[in-house]
Amino acid sequence: MISVNPGTSNLEKLDLHNLPAEQTALDIKNLNLYYGEEQALYDVSMRIPNNRVTAFIGPSGCGKSTLLRCINRMNDLVEICRIDGEIALHGQNIYDKKVDVAALRRRVGMVFQRPNPFPKSIYENVVYGLRLQGVKDKRILDEAVETSLRGAALWDEVKDRLNASAFSLSGGQQQRVVIARSIAIEPEILLLDEPTSALDPISTLTIEELITELKEKYTVVIVTHNMQQAARVSDQTGFLYMGKLVEYADTDTLFTTPAEKQTEDYITGRYG
Amino acid sequence: MASLSAQQLAANRGRLFKDRAARYGVTLGGIMVLVALLLIFFYLLYVVQPIFRSVDLTEEQSFSLPNSAGVKAVGMEEQAEIGYRLMSSGELQFFALHDKPAVERKAGDIISGDQVADAAKITSFASSLPVSKQYAYGLNDGSAVVLQPKFGVTFAENSETGLTERTITPRIETLNNGDPLVVDEQGQPLEQLAYDTDGEAMLFAAVQGGNNLLITKYTAEENFMTGEVTLKPIFSRISLNGNIDDLIVTPDLRQVMARRGNRVHVFDVGTGGDVTERELMVIDSREQGNATGMYLLAGASSVLLTHDSGLISQWFQVSTDQGRKYQYIRSFDAGSPVENIEVEYYRRTFYTVSENGDLGIFHTTSEADLYRGKPLEAKLQNVMVDPRANYLIMQSGDRFSVFDVDNEHPEVTWSAMWQEVWYEGYPEPDYTWQSTSGSDDFESKFSLVPIAFGTIKAAAYAMLFAIPIGLAAAVYTAYFMSPSVRKYVKPTVEIMEALPTVILGFLAGLWLAPVIERYLPGVIAILLLVPAAIILTAFLWSKLPSKIRNTVNDGRAALLLIPIVLLVGWFSFGLSPWVEETLFDGNVRGYLTNELGISFDQRNSLVVGIAMGFAVIPTIFSIAEDAVFSVPKHLSNGSLALGATPWQTLTKVVLLTASPGIFSAVMMGLGRAVGETMIVLMATGNTPIMDWNIFEGMRTLSANIAVEMPESEVGSSHYRILFLAAFVLFIFTFFFNTIAEFVRQRLRDKYSSM
Repeated sequence: MISVNPGTSNLEKLDLHNLPAEQTALDIKNLNLYYGEEQALYDVSMRIPNNRVTAFIGPSGCGKSTLLRCINRMNDLVEICRIDGEIALHGQNIYDKKVDVAALRRRVGMVFQRPNPFPKSIYENVVYGLRLQGVKDKRILDEAVETSLRGAALWDEVKDRLNASAFSLSGGQQQRVVIARSIAIEPEILLLDEPTSALDPISTLTIEELITELKEKYTVVIVTHNMQQAARVSDQTGFLYMGKLVEYADTDTLFTTPAEKQTEDYITGRYG
Repeated sequence: MASLSAQQLAANRGRLFKDRAARYGVTLGGIMVLVALLLIFFYLLYVVQPIFRSVDLTEEQSFSLPNSAGVKAVGMEEQAEIGYRLMSSGELQFFALHDKPAVERKAGDIISGDQVADAAKITSFASSLPVSKQYAYGLNDGSAVVLQPKFGVTFAENSETGLTERTITPRIETLNNGDPLVVDEQGQPLEQLAYDTDGEAMLFAAVQGGNNLLITKYTAEENFMTGEVTLKPIFSRISLNGNIDDLIVTPDLRQVMARRGNRVHVFDVGTGGDVTERELMVIDSREQGNATGMYLLAGASSVLLTHDSGLISQWFQVSTDQGRKYQYIRSFDAGSPVENIEVEYYRRTFYTVSENGDLGIFHTTSEADLYRGKPLEAKLQNVMVDPRANYLIMQSGDRFSVFDVDNEHPEVTWSAMWQEVWYEGYPEPDYTWQSTSGSDDFESKFSLVPIAFGTIKAAAYAMLFAIPIGLAAAVYTAYFMSPSVRKYVKPTVEIMEALPTVILGFLAGLWLAPVIERYLPGVIAILLLVPAAIILTAFLWSKLPSKIRNTVNDGRAALLLIPIVLLVGWFSFGLSPWVEETLFDGNVRGYLTNELGISFDQRNSLVVGIAMGFAVIPTIFSIAEDAVFSVPKHLSNGSLALGATPWQTLTKVVLLTASPGIFSAVMMGLGRAVGETMIVLMATGNTPIMDWNIFEGMRTLSANIAVEMPESEVGSSHYRILFLAAFVLFIFTFFFNTIAEFVRQRLRDKYSSM
């Protein structure tokens, strides 16, 4: 069986199905998603708690990344994508017509599978989000760079070459620049879409340690195809299969005593 | 691993062969492309390079002719086979210049000769400009004998060799059957003589008594009853206060110039022979030194004055407030005082013989100092050029040397092509391209500046039109347009590139130009209103309630602009006549010309800008669209995920990343605009002027080549300069395309690392 992150076991277990509103960061209700005629998500409902790490696992094509991208409306960029249902961010439906998508994404940050720093310096990468909001004060920007890079556990490595191109960094460092860039604008939720799949094991370990630290300040939702990673970093795990949320439970519950046969088959490696 | 069977080995060999063949085939193809490019490059250079070659003199023959001390003039016919000399004794002798074994003739052999004037009576001598090549002996009874050496050319088949051979037979023609023409009514000796003819009339100028200038014009009159031609003289006599040193008669018989020290009196001679003093040229002896001689340059517009300082100054008439006046233009330095000047028949090249025996070869207009040196061992006394300027005869005492002279392109120098040149008759130095005219006296003006300027002007106006439209369209199509619309838009625009430019040029010249002329206010209004209307519509659209906006997909919203653009167009054109009527008294062209001083050509830069811009848009669009579209999606997604609006993402990330590609697109477009021929050829007046005025035309390098190459004589300066223009164009486009390709290559490397 997969060993579960001992850090998570200290946390009190939450009743995920009757989570009180003040502890709920995201409330996903009856979410259906279609790519053209094809349905990709079927009636997904779940509550994601504050300041915890929630993992989505499942085989390739199960819809876990799609579900993640619904949370900051990145799916809007896909022309043929259509959604019904509701996702409430601290009680407010993000699919409401009145919602400003750019403002939403400021509150819900996202880190992608491949490190995607901009072709700019490390400094400019980190302050990018702040500059978008019109922050010009050099002091605030400098401070944000240091805080964010410290937050992303990168400060000591790059503090002497902040003006170097972000491309000069290694893949793991680039990914941490991207994380620093995301937390520089202080989002409420951080979405991580397979953040370590393009990285080497050591970088992966660094990022995983970082994720555990990040939940102090942010609600983290991570998609991973690596079950060990989910077990190591997450507090709750949702298992998706064929566009359906099969099981959603505390990580150690899900990995030790899965309620569903499909979940058990998956975590024991029968398919996936 | 199991060992390979024989069959597998055979298959492998086939595969290896194919692989190798493909490799060599591709390499060969690539090398051929490079070779072709280099061949073009070197062929252009090969054709161009003679214009920069310096003068080359080679001695061909050398012979002695006795009694050459008293030679008044030496000359030769065009084939440089036979030369002649006019002696002070009044005798004209023809002699061979080259050995001709077929008739057992050696260089220097006297062929024939005749006494044309009585030696005892000769007091002076004159020769006309080389073009008419006539000579006059002035006699002590106030009359002059005019003669002309002529050469008859016959071709006959040699019975032994069967080859056609050329035989040149010299003869002497005299005017008035050899009878002297009276120049001085009073019958006094002619101390100096100047003479020229325009083929119908003759003009003599003579000095008599040191300071008396006699001007006598003979006109031929035909008795219409008998058909007999008689020469009728008109005499004038002017006394100057001082001895006359030099006399010149212009071949148009309109002017006589008399030099008196550092002053030159210029006289006008009317058609009726009446003489008026026109002006007095005063030579600044402190600047140039004292004048020592005066000569007329080919074309007869310029006067060359030699100075005791070794300088030769050129003067010609320039328009001033007081009419046309002779003016000092430029000077040449021969090193030591010049004794004698020989001018060429047609070109503005002249040859100087200096006191120290130097030969100097100069070209006036290009200010070129072509040659200076001592071609002979003995002191050079006299130099003579043949009508085609291929041979020189140099005389030193009794010794005559025939030189082959290689001086094909004296009028072309790098500075004459790229700097301001003061051409004869022009009020000031200028950049002029004027390659041909109807007259032989005409001097070709080969400044590449106006046509290089025209190229840049045409390209600039085209880019002004094409860059905003092409880039905006590319960015919109790549970044905002929905993929389903983009699928149709991109190939459609790219197909525009395949449109033959001759069609665009044809439409621009014959349809667009008159429309623009007729609806000028409308066209200008469209150029201003359409962008304004588009921005206004977009703004209003964004303010509409989202319910209405959501009915149209963002990626298709641009289609809504089509009716707006059509409406603005219709409005502008509809209003145009009314605007013209009320604001410009019904005549915008007149208003532009009279009130604003802007001249207006129907086929102007605006037409070219639009038409060529239209041709360039697909190039810019296609490359820029690719550049924007190939910006990795994860970059723009990264920006969007940070809360950037699409516009912020575009300006801060996408354009930044695509900027080398966009630069490359603009460069490619520029390269295309610079090399474009048919549109500028058909849609402009092809006037080689230098003016940024958008309502005037231009002539571009490429159009210039297209227009003039068919008419240019192979091997002439004109021909080679057109090749030079082609070379410049080649370098231009090569440069732009190389930069574009280089930047694109770097961009590709950069993307692959992202």
